[in-house]
Amino acid sequence: MDERELIVGIDLGTTFSLVAYADESGPHVIRDENGDGRLPSVIGVVPGRDAEKPRITVGWEARDHAVENPRATVYSIKRLIGKSVADVRRELPFLTYAVRSGPRDTLQVEIDGRLYTPEEISAVLLRTLKERAERHLDRPVRKAVITVPAYFDDAQRQATRNAGQAAGLEVVRIVNEPTAAALAYGLGVREQRGPAPPTAQPRARGVALPTPQCYEPLGRATTRASDGQLVAVYDLGGGTFDISILRIEHSVFQVLSTAGDTHLGGDDFDRTLMALITREVRDQFGVSIDAPATRQALRLLTERIKIRLSEQPQADVELDLDSGRFYRRTIQRAEFEAAIAELIERTLTLFAQALRDAELTPAELTRVILVGGSTRIPLVRRRMAEFCGREPYTALNPEEVVAEGAAIQAAILAGAHPDMLLLDVIPLSLGIETMGGAVGKLILRNTTIPCRATEMFTTFVDGQTAIKLNVLQGERELAEDCRSLGEFELRGLPPMPAGIPKVEVEFLVDANGILNVSARELRSGRQAGIQIVPNRGLTRAEVERIAEESIAFAREDITAHRRIDLVNQVAFDATKTEQMLARVGYRLDPAERQRIEDDLAALRRLARDAPDLDELHRALDAFGKSTLHLAEIGIREALAGPGDVGRR
Amino acid sequence: MSASARRERRATPVKCRTCARPMHSPLFCADCHTLHPADGFDHFDLLGFEPAYDIDDAELRRRYLRVSRDIHPDRHGRAATESAALSLRGSARLNEAYRVLSDPLLRAEYLLEVVGGKSSAQDKSVAPEVLTRTLAAREEIEEARAAGNQATLATCGQQVRQLFDQTAQRIGTLARQLPGAADVRHELRQALNAVKYYQKLLERL
Repeated sequence: MDERELIVGIDLGTTFSLVAYADESGPHVIRDENGDGRLPSVIGVVPGRDAEKPRITVGWEARDHAVENPRATVYSIKRLIGKSVADVRRELPFLTYAVRSGPRDTLQVEIDGRLYTPEEISAVLLRTLKERAERHLDRPVRKAVITVPAYFDDAQRQATRNAGQAAGLEVVRIVNEPTAAALAYGLGVREQRGPAPPTAQPRARGVALPTPQCYEPLGRATTRASDGQLVAVYDLGGGTFDISILRIEHSVFQVLSTAGDTHLGGDDFDRTLMALITREVRDQFGVSIDAPATRQALRLLTERIKIRLSEQPQADVELDLDSGRFYRRTIQRAEFEAAIAELIERTLTLFAQALRDAELTPAELTRVILVGGSTRIPLVRRRMAEFCGREPYTALNPEEVVAEGAAIQAAILAGAHPDMLLLDVIPLSLGIETMGGAVGKLILRNTTIPCRATEMFTTFVDGQTAIKLNVLQGERELAEDCRSLGEFELRGLPPMPAGIPKVEVEFLVDANGILNVSARELRSGRQAGIQIVPNRGLTRAEVERIAEESIAFAREDITAHRRIDLVNQVAFDATKTEQMLARVGYRLDPAERQRIEDDLAALRRLARDAPDLDELHRALDAFGKSTLHLAEIGIREALAGPGDVGRR
Repeated sequence: MSASARRERRATPVKCRTCARPMHSPLFCADCHTLHPADGFDHFDLLGFEPAYDIDDAELRRRYLRVSRDIHPDRHGRAATESAALSLRGSARLNEAYRVLSDPLLRAEYLLEVVGGKSSAQDKSVAPEVLTRTLAAREEIEEARAAGNQATLATCGQQVRQLFDQTAQRIGTLARQLPGAADVRHELRQALNAVKYYQKLLERL
């Protein structure tokens, strides 16, 4: 390990999660005592005795007890993170744990009467990986690059970053999984490392495919150095599907387009088998399989059948239905393929869309790389070969390549590889809701990030001090068909007559693909002071609290949150009014000035005495109205002042 | 910034405000490794090109990648520092500049704006035959689609494609004459408006 700061790379997967780091010899996945790099993305909650706190189990241990403990075993949390209950309604029948609606459109998992956010559950996985890395490297790990599906939207990215923070990690970058995979291939590190270590042999949980030893590294100056290479990364994992098209030249990895589905992956293939078996058991025995324990057992069983069918033409199933009855069946590979064919075709439709967006044909691709455990399915490989007109490429272990890429990006961020650069895109268009529920597009999908757009807004009512913006992500024309990133509220506008304020709002998407909204009022020259309050997902305070408290105690407190917001707003308005009084107060008649000063003192008292929040809200509104005249004087003064304020 | 000040500034490379040495892009001084804000510079400035329609694509990409490597947020700290903010905004401006300049139609549109021509919001007019052609083509497409007539749809597609290509070519010819006389700018404005109609038709197909 060199002297540079240590940043690990984490692949936080639907089914498995991995942690890796990179040194001079390349990226290394950190393995457990059995030589397995994979940590099942599963946590279990074991109830504590009496007043004891519940105990949390993670990984293989939690997975091994999933059947006994179906309601308290949480798996596939990645499919729920950054989502509302309404978003995942179709998912719910397949889960064995309970999901509830939380405040501000969040979702929570309920176990033994306690509520857990998906961020908290993901944080447990991340903390376990962090500790694994610390044990292996024998030094503290505080920073990480975490990968997400390329098609994750803003809310899902934010939630993932929050989970990292809650696990005590500074998330220095969110990287897209297919892009990370391309990085791992592009460095050609495998040449220096020799053959890949066998994956998971001791536990025989999955079978590593033989990995060809020689391949042409991407991104290196090859025969056509200036042309660059066009590479498609087809990433079909446990719960999500991504396709990214990259142009790689002179060590620059530029994503040209991406498409995907955050609810399409191995889980869905298991479910086709679950549906098949459930139906047949009901028809043959009149037994319905819906007890959580049975469903959990069936889930694990179908996953095993699926894996077996990737290696053998058929698989035997035996299910003990109690009272000596057994459901026995041989499932043919062809049968399974017929069941998942439609899902595979969906991935190809998305592949075609990504190619269209990149203005390419399959024949123009230099190479097609397969990533993710589900690409072991023979049908996937066959259809890919047919679609692309050539054999797809899988030199590296498809389950570890994303973590390796994350470790390489971490090394780039730490200052290694100064020639390498990763240019990614925003996967979904960003817009705002306009009059009549339409969407005004601000940033189009597949725009290189960082990117930005600005838009002007004004007020409709005299003295209006706040503007609400509904920010949307998606490709559809109507707001109701897009994903709302929440209503952003611009607060703290100086009260002015309707239509006078000119508020410039900047939408800035950073290198993580996360949106940052900022605003400034141009008329008064006030650049700072406008607060932006997103009303979705966890607040910063909540993330910090999760990080500080043990998971079992985490609880939402919306009232406290609202109180803090309101009290801050009171402090802000009061200070603003005081400044205005000091500057132009002499222009008011003494009686009005006295009244404002009295109101100001009363408002501060009310905020300090921890009052009823609705009352405080009303008082704040009334104060805004009673100081309107003063504010107008202040603005006229500012407008007449030196220097014209305008936009370039 | 006035047009004359702009020309004058372009004549010599922008100098670094910290070390006074000339920079290949106003966004970053490779000598003293200082980031500078993009304010006041247009897309051509950021990539070190004269404002002209003809641009060497390979050189444009080379410069874009070079400046990207210099200023990308991966290179400039992740903490909430001033240089991180400059790097983020600068990269966003640079990406926008490359997006526009690497696309001939967007480049023509942008150049027209730089030389003081009207924007599409200020002048939405098109030559009269464009509207009649568009309407006729749209009807034909809808009818062919309703009848499931793939052959007609394909022919329509070819025709619209041809109109699009011709207009795009004309845009190139006109944009090379910029700043040009008022009538050149007016015709260019109309051609740029027309090409959007054809683009929409192609999307329908």
